[in-house]
Amino acid sequence: MYERYLIPLKTVEPRAPRVPKFSILRADNCVNCGRCEQACVFGVHIRSNADPRKMADPVNHLCKNCFRCIAECPQGALTMSRGAEYRTLGRGIWTPLRICTIWSEAETGKIPVLGAGYRGMFAGPGYDGMWTDMSEIVRPTRDGIHGREFISTSVDIGRIPPFLEFDSSGAVTTDMPPLIDIPIPMTLDLMRMKTCSKSMAEGFLTAAKLLETFAFVPVDQVSKRTLANLGESAVPVIPSRTDLSAVDLPDNVGMVELAAGTSWKNDHKALAKRFPDKIVSIRIDAVEGIENTVLEMLDRNVAVAHVQFSDEGRETSARSRHAKDSLRAIHRRLVEVGRRDEITVMAGGGLAAAEHVPKSIICGADAVSISKALLIALECRDCLECRSSECPADVSSAPSSWVADRVMNVVGAWRDQLLEVLGAMGLREVRRLRGEFGRAIFFDDLEAGFASQEERGEGG
Amino acid sequence: MTLAPDKYADVYPEAAVDPSQRLRFMNRYSVRRADACISCGLCESLCPYGVHRRIEGHSRILPPDDRKCVGPSCEVNYFYCVANCPTKSLSISESDNYLSLGDPRWTQEMILSTWRMAETAEPLPLDHPGNVGASGGGFDELRFVLPDERPHYDPEEISTSMELNRRGSGERITIPVPFYGGGMSFGSISVHTMLARVIAAKKWDTFISTGEGGYPEQLVPYKDYMITQIATGLFGVREETIQRSRVIEFKYAQGAKPGLGGHLLGDKNTPDVARMREAVPYTSLFSPFPFHSVYSVEDHKKHLDWALTINPKALLSVKVSTPNDVEMVSVGSYYAGAHIVNLDGGYGGTGAAPEIAKKNIAMPIEYAIPKVHRFLIAEGIRDEITLVASGGIRTALDVAKAIALGADGVVLGTSELVALGCVRCGNCESGRGCPRGIATTDPELEKLNTSAWGAQRLDNLYIAWRAQWRELLATLGMKDISELRGRADLMRYRGNRLKEVDG
Repeated sequence: MYERYLIPLKTVEPRAPRVPKFSILRADNCVNCGRCEQACVFGVHIRSNADPRKMADPVNHLCKNCFRCIAECPQGALTMSRGAEYRTLGRGIWTPLRICTIWSEAETGKIPVLGAGYRGMFAGPGYDGMWTDMSEIVRPTRDGIHGREFISTSVDIGRIPPFLEFDSSGAVTTDMPPLIDIPIPMTLDLMRMKTCSKSMAEGFLTAAKLLETFAFVPVDQVSKRTLANLGESAVPVIPSRTDLSAVDLPDNVGMVELAAGTSWKNDHKALAKRFPDKIVSIRIDAVEGIENTVLEMLDRNVAVAHVQFSDEGRETSARSRHAKDSLRAIHRRLVEVGRRDEITVMAGGGLAAAEHVPKSIICGADAVSISKALLIALECRDCLECRSSECPADVSSAPSSWVADRVMNVVGAWRDQLLEVLGAMGLREVRRLRGEFGRAIFFDDLEAGFASQEERGEGG
Repeated sequence: MTLAPDKYADVYPEAAVDPSQRLRFMNRYSVRRADACISCGLCESLCPYGVHRRIEGHSRILPPDDRKCVGPSCEVNYFYCVANCPTKSLSISESDNYLSLGDPRWTQEMILSTWRMAETAEPLPLDHPGNVGASGGGFDELRFVLPDERPHYDPEEISTSMELNRRGSGERITIPVPFYGGGMSFGSISVHTMLARVIAAKKWDTFISTGEGGYPEQLVPYKDYMITQIATGLFGVREETIQRSRVIEFKYAQGAKPGLGGHLLGDKNTPDVARMREAVPYTSLFSPFPFHSVYSVEDHKKHLDWALTINPKALLSVKVSTPNDVEMVSVGSYYAGAHIVNLDGGYGGTGAAPEIAKKNIAMPIEYAIPKVHRFLIAEGIRDEITLVASGGIRTALDVAKAIALGADGVVLGTSELVALGCVRCGNCESGRGCPRGIATTDPELEKLNTSAWGAQRLDNLYIAWRAQWRELLATLGMKDISELRGRADLMRYRGNRLKEVDG
């Protein structure tokens, strides 16, 4: 029977105090007249419980920057400023706005919807230098937003043989490699997390199981019992230079990953031989020339190339390209040899917002692995205090059920936004989006045409 | 050379200074008085703006009223309080309020300049920073190169009109300004805001569009200045609303949410709105996407023919978003019979849209205009269709730049709301709606503005803008704004300075 894929979402309250975007300062000349209380539609200004003659301190996190109270204060006693703590959140592509967006997605599971037009920079580096296309008339379903439940977001993980062979009796003789279909093109990656307590790991694994996707976990940190329980959703990652003969995995584990070292070719051969029924993935850092390495993997029948970019979404070598260029190079190289479907390309790193998922896929990834955004979902502030045990959000003590719920909310909200993008393009399934460069509008292309027109000086 | 006097000279409304205490709250500078102040009162006697004041008989001077302060540039004056204070207890800096207003697309300077123009009708000098945003690309990095030797045209003789029908047949409608008001539905904005816009449109002999929320009764007296929008949800569209209009607009897509259809969240769907839209109150209304009757250019033609059957005299406008193949869509619209093609770019306004759509779907209008303009020229039909641009047109200079890139004119939305006092806080979508009473249907909040007040402010803004266009055209040696069309060579593009995107 047809069963609709549904991510259960619910409100999950934050554990740490909220970080207000704006803060209102009440000066000493306030006369407690209460005009601000009447003016504010968001409930920032209320009278003090202890002494109703006085106004309480403003509830800053509710403030939405409308300036009503400031305009109406007869004393000019109120001042608005951008929140000091808010402004210091994150770094690089992990801007305060993106961090707060992930927080609100983790809390509500909802797509961020706001009034007024776009407010940011015209374009930016990396994924901010591309726009997804849309289609004016072609539709995946005949019913717009109400037809989105029919858009498929599932992807295949593993090697797909280019053709099938049959014997004279019509039976398939091709040796089918293992292939797993996951309902979302997103996996969870615990390997890159700066901190990951036992309860966090349990929460991530639970979320992965409920989402029916994978979580990449260090093989030495996951117990036999957990693997037995959550094996279908756990992908044990084996560090390079491990004695592979000592590795033992239960039957229900469907996929195993090897961190690429210098001997990855031999290690992969050994691992694939040892576990012929499991998908073998190789985790590799994206460096200059990664497309050639992926091609080598293809030649050696590696099922999944799990390409790791930096948290900024760039290659890790000195002359680094952004993932959008690197992934396109990989995809192009695989298409050139006519064997694109024989390897799954999974991209990790630099995924800081929902739009980065469809953009990675357009650039050629089959699926992505989310890592830092999962930590942010647990209210991490990207302050790099992880080692000093002074985490302001105290993420390590987060209970596993709370972790699982927050993660599902974020993944659910990101999937819904992926559906928005697919719907706008008129695509019925995310598989068709992979490597469709023509489905994106690249800043560099437009810019070249735009800058040249003034020289040509075309008159009307 | 003598020029014909502007045939619309008698159309233009008079400016009326329209002070608004409500919009005087913004203190651009903050004046701080340290504890060292001895309340000698020298600053009070020096400052001509009234920043410093002491109540008669009080020993202490009042906290500074810095909304009146003109800022550090005052230091050239003999009466500069900071320099004169005997105890050096005064200081002036940019205020926190000022710094928390706006964003890279709508900078503080741009919002305050728009308010000032709406209040005084004084045009902004062409080199004023309030004319451009700080988004680091597109219009914000385009500058007109003004010649050193300026021809001397009388700005009064320069025409700023736009033809809406360039085809051989049908009613010829020419509006005296290169813009009309874009679709903002009843429900997304209040009826007072709609009225303010249409009263101003009537004075200027231009139009506003109903948007996708029906045609409230109060607007019927202004029917000659209303465009009836037919959007995918068909909310509030009836035969009589189509028959009433001189221009009918088909909204295929909206730039802020291309491919998604309209959103009106449940909170704003009050009983009045619901009645107009023939919907259930307090349910969220999502328009489908696209028109279910249109899956090809042939269907599109049938669609336009259907409207023409109901109202044979109407001009037809087609509003589309900016995908990669936008030029093909425009040409298809022309052959289907459209008089106007309205390109709505990705960075345009909205009453509610998913954030992912605003930034990431379809290209900004700056790229789409020249693409379509060139293609229409190559097709040989450029002069038979009116190309208007919208979606991120904020100032008079943005309008001029859009025209120089190849549009005939523009469609306005957000800039009009800013003239009515919008601070771009982005809370139009839910709850009671706009806390400033513009984009709301809350019976209490919508009373914050009256339509007469709003109409006067829009008048003033248009007067100021028109003066800016005339000044620009006079400097460029043009006597009609249509000469500017497609003259991208008159602009210098500084290229994009890529920075992290954050709004």
